[in-house]
Amino acid sequence: MIGLVGRIVSHVPSVALGLSLFSAVLLSSTAAQADTLSKIKAEGSLVVATQMAYPPFDFMENGVYVGVDKDLLDEVGKELGVKMVYQDLPWTSVLSGLDAKKFDFVGAPINATKARAQKYAFTSPIAGSGNAFIKKKDNADIKLPADLSGKKVGVVQASYVQQQVEAYSATLPKPVQVRQYADLNQIYADVANGRLDAGATSLPNVSYAALQRPDALEVVLPIFGVSTYYGFIARKDPEDASFVAAVSGALQKIKADGRLDVIQKKWFGRTEALPADMPEPLL
Amino acid sequence: MHFDLVINALPFLFKGFGLTLLVSVMGTVVGTVIGVAICALRWTSIPALSRLAALYISYFRGVPLLVQLLVFYNFLPYAGIDLSPIAAAICALGMVGGAYMAELLRGALAAIPKGQVEAGVALGFSPISIGRRLLLPQMLRLATPAMTNELILLVKASSLVSVVGLAEVTRVSQTFAASTLRPMEFYLAAGAFYLVTNLFLAYCGARLERKMARR
Amino acid sequence: MDMNTLLSYLPALGRGLWITLVCWLVASVGGVALGLVIALVQRSAAAPLRLLIKFYIEAMRCTPLIVLLFIVYDGGPAVGVLLDPIPAGIVVLIIHGSAYFAEIFRGGFQAVPAGQIEAANSLGMPPLAIVRRVLMPGALTAAMPSLINMVINVCKETALLSIITVGDLTFAVQNMAVETFAAFESLLALALGYWLLIEIFSRLGQRAERRINRHLRLRGATGKGGL
Repeated sequence: MIGLVGRIVSHVPSVALGLSLFSAVLLSSTAAQADTLSKIKAEGSLVVATQMAYPPFDFMENGVYVGVDKDLLDEVGKELGVKMVYQDLPWTSVLSGLDAKKFDFVGAPINATKARAQKYAFTSPIAGSGNAFIKKKDNADIKLPADLSGKKVGVVQASYVQQQVEAYSATLPKPVQVRQYADLNQIYADVANGRLDAGATSLPNVSYAALQRPDALEVVLPIFGVSTYYGFIARKDPEDASFVAAVSGALQKIKADGRLDVIQKKWFGRTEALPADMPEPLL
Repeated sequence: MHFDLVINALPFLFKGFGLTLLVSVMGTVVGTVIGVAICALRWTSIPALSRLAALYISYFRGVPLLVQLLVFYNFLPYAGIDLSPIAAAICALGMVGGAYMAELLRGALAAIPKGQVEAGVALGFSPISIGRRLLLPQMLRLATPAMTNELILLVKASSLVSVVGLAEVTRVSQTFAASTLRPMEFYLAAGAFYLVTNLFLAYCGARLERKMARR
Repeated sequence: MDMNTLLSYLPALGRGLWITLVCWLVASVGGVALGLVIALVQRSAAAPLRLLIKFYIEAMRCTPLIVLLFIVYDGGPAVGVLLDPIPAGIVVLIIHGSAYFAEIFRGGFQAVPAGQIEAANSLGMPPLAIVRRVLMPGALTAAMPSLINMVINVCKETALLSIITVGDLTFAVQNMAVETFAAFESLLALALGYWLLIEIFSRLGQRAERRINRHLRLRGATGKGGL
């Protein structure tokens, strides 16, 4: 036993060496960055990262990427005069990739929270985001959100809705059993096959899912918790400021001239008025 | 079961599988180069280099591949390196493949009779010359069957590279499973791709081994 | 990430580590047991059954673990198999691992000289006793390094369970990474954590190997030095 500990300890110098190399890399200053917007315009293309498993905003239909975000961002690309290149990543790699500057823009609908607004720059909001549960069709046990007391509910891991469900669960007689998922489609599948009693995400998502699978899924109304808006994000560094302003400007133009109404009617069946700038998040 | 949906999706599945093969083969090539280098480092007389090589092998064989890929994906930008998803996948697979290859080569090296090295030294060959002209060709020849094992390993490992954003066949089958709500059919199809390929590679490897043994 | 944030995540990380260890233990024991049964059946079975077993082993060794997990967890409900994440993950790990363990045991059995088995047979030992007293000790000694290696591999394989939503260490750290916006540091720490875990168990495995083979060394029949 002592020998084993001794052997582990003898490795500490090499581990320490490795660690200090890593931290040296972390702390080393990166080269001076050109303005992001000019870089993108010079390259003529913008890499947009998202998780293509989030209907109706980002998803794959027969191997082709479609969704609200794609339609919206294609228009933004026309306004900016650049080609949009869409990249599919797991949800947990999306935010970290933005931080690590692997790409400049996240085209996934992100719920605006105070913490996120501090760290990232939100562009003009793209949809309202109330929190809602979705259940298996004809599940008579669940009629209102309060009926979720003590039931198994699936949420996307580390999401805003997860926080909202946990806060709401504290108000219920029995706490909700929260199960975390990497993928919204997986949540719908597990609601439909009975592994979960319900799933929780934002209203636009569950409305679309129930529309697509009326025989299997049903939305539980009313919405619960604190609502916020969905928005796209970019980094909050100084060199990204003009880029963020350009994208917001493009989105506002698209809202003003009615193109957003067309997209909303296509995917949601109705239009929704949205503020021009992302309002201060409540939470 | 509705396999007709799978038939409709075949072009996409084949495209994804093409990426699987590309990164696996290129990863094996990169892994062989790295493996030879690491194996050589293990045999130098400089303790620091030998230690470094041992650490390399220990890390890449000790950390789960999924975690390695996630760390690699997040680490690159801090080092100022910008790689496309394909390049990132090839590098990541090459690095882990190199660690396994280094171990395989070590085994192959041990199989070469020591007398040959002694004869080389007695004849006055420099160590580098001995390594390059005597040991390396024999090592590679002995390790060739092992390289098919390596390729099989990397074909399986490539199923995880979707975390670096590469749409290989497992990811493609995942998106179709989600949009057609037919997970069983599509995952069985993905499994079939891997099974057929790896069975074929295993067969080739066995034949190669028999050929080598006859020499 | 400051110290307070890290401390606040320690319980969640601890739970993740616990799940990783439990899944590893159950999957290893199950895999070894099932692999042993398969190897023993393979020894004495008729040709068609041997062929079936061989195909099963090849299929498990040629298919990526993540695809097997998806087939059982996501595809299962379509054929009436509705398993929760942890049971599904453990079942797949056991089935997948058993193929490797069966091959390892087969190699171990081959290392036992046929003469010993024949001698035991001619002495009238019942088959079960032959297995227990002649075959297994010799096979275990020969197979121990590979067995330990494979058990350590199973630990690495548990990381994949995070993809089917099992709350293991990888899952817990990824949560922390997203919530604290400190992805690189969290993931690096995760990698170092697994490295440490695997190194510790490798060393323990080497010690176990030396203890099991102690009876061979003490004999000193070959004239080589003892302890």
